Amino acid sequence: MNIVLHELKAYRKSIIIWACSMTLLAVLYIFLFKGLGHDIENFKAFLNNMPDVIKKSFNIFIDSISTLEGFYSFVFSFVVLCGAIQAMNLGTAIVSKEMRDRTADFLMTKPVSRCYIMTSKLIAAFSALVMTNIIYLGLTVSAAVALVGTFNLKVFFMISVTMFFVQLIFMALGVLISVMAGRIKSVISVSLSTVFGFYILGSLGSFLGEEKVRYFSPFRYFDTAYIIKHAAYEVSFVVIGIVFIIAAIAGSYLVYLKKDIHVA
Amino acid sequence: MNVIEIKNLTKYYGKSRGIVDVSFNVEEGEIFGFIGPNGAGKSTTIRTLLSLIYPTSGSATIFGKDCIKFAPEIAKEVGYLPSEVFYYDKMKVIDLLKYAASFYKKDCSKRIKELAEIMDLDLKKRIDDLSFGNKKKVGIVQGLLHEPKLIILDEPTSGLDPLMQQKFFDLLLEENKKGATILLSSHVLSEVQRLCSRVAIIKDGKIIRLEKISDLTEHNYKKFKIEMKEEISKDYFELGGINNLEIKGNKVSFLFKGNINLMIKKLSDVEITNILIEEPSLEEIFIHYYEKEA
Repeated sequence: MNIVLHELKAYRKSIIIWACSMTLLAVLYIFLFKGLGHDIENFKAFLNNMPDVIKKSFNIFIDSISTLEGFYSFVFSFVVLCGAIQAMNLGTAIVSKEMRDRTADFLMTKPVSRCYIMTSKLIAAFSALVMTNIIYLGLTVSAAVALVGTFNLKVFFMISVTMFFVQLIFMALGVLISVMAGRIKSVISVSLSTVFGFYILGSLGSFLGEEKVRYFSPFRYFDTAYIIKHAAYEVSFVVIGIVFIIAAIAGSYLVYLKKDIHVA
Repeated sequence: MNVIEIKNLTKYYGKSRGIVDVSFNVEEGEIFGFIGPNGAGKSTTIRTLLSLIYPTSGSATIFGKDCIKFAPEIAKEVGYLPSEVFYYDKMKVIDLLKYAASFYKKDCSKRIKELAEIMDLDLKKRIDDLSFGNKKKVGIVQGLLHEPKLIILDEPTSGLDPLMQQKFFDLLLEENKKGATILLSSHVLSEVQRLCSRVAIIKDGKIIRLEKISDLTEHNYKKFKIEMKEEISKDYFELGGINNLEIKGNKVSFLFKGNINLMIKKLSDVEITNILIEEPSLEEIFIHYYEKEA
């Protein structure tokens, strides 16, 4: 428990900053939606004239753009992008930070097993993500309720929660990369390049209209248009996500338990 | 009883050598020195004992338990001070020490205060505001705050001023008196000479000697420094038992191991203006070992 608390204390500021900036982004759009008011139909017509490619890659769905859920799903793809970077940072940092700052010696000569250390750090990262999502969801949903009033709360909620799931995937990926790599000098460059890589891959997939690409980019696991239409998730993608998370975490444990810890 | 038993410990980093076939024991209550030049394998051995790295072959036990399998259990009674200390920069010293103490299931706050006072350490400062020497002090307090039965030190004195070194050594001797066993690795031979009762010498990953300090210094070697009236040729000292022979003009110095009477007789044949016979430092003895093995 002491490690979990120590880690969370270290993440405190970053959790608040990330959660608030993502909230700000979303709330800004809700204001925009409110401001557009009845002009939304004109806006719809304007968007309709845009090429399909752009609409697809920016997650714009004309049918639903006049509803808050539809309008929100446009900005939400950027919120998820931020969330993914935050999660990947967290995942990569929990192991590599100790290596980079050479504090691994301190921690690992204490009377705790490596398994315990890893579990504590995962719990801390998981809690950090939960807190981020609670802040984001709480503020965004209340802003939406206060400003707009009538909209499909369930769908709005379902869309927002997918961020947590995408974050878990990237966190697991980050942990796996950080235990496999030697010393990572800059966490942010690793996580940015990975996250943007997947984001571009996902956009490229929808560009080309290639359905199979969706399986390779967590950003496309949750199609907001599908959620709005069916008020449900696509099971196959959820399963793939869960399988990946479990595999990555299990693999990380295996590598970490056998790893030599070097300082120099 | 042996606190540490190392049996044929071997570690390769890929293809490059760490240590090869290292074996030695450290008995309960002794201060054991572990000596060798940089890169000889001292840290590799110590890091294996602490289960930070895993051996390629061989094994080691601490308190009779396998040091890899029972690492967390063993760590309860082990205090470790690395040569370079690194801590969470943004923490205050006292918070770091409390965090360290939280891993041991006992109240360490009193001991933290005592140690900080002895080492003259400001507990309220942030870690990243500390100088190298002060960080080292944090390391010392951190390594001793749970009153460990085994203290492992990896080149501990770098960065400490002579006064602090003295305080630190006194602290170690006190812990030793209370029953703690100490393993001290170093390349500074004088500090090993001052503290340790036995020593293992490691070179190129192999233990080349295991001896009692007293045997090394008292019984075996004498250091001779002689000034002659006239210059003397090197051949004059072609005699068994002479090492590190240096002749500069009419000044001669060497280490001698053997029957002292023979040497005195030999010297009585030449005109001497000044003579000094003393205990050699470990440094001088070991330089000879290192050179021979190289």
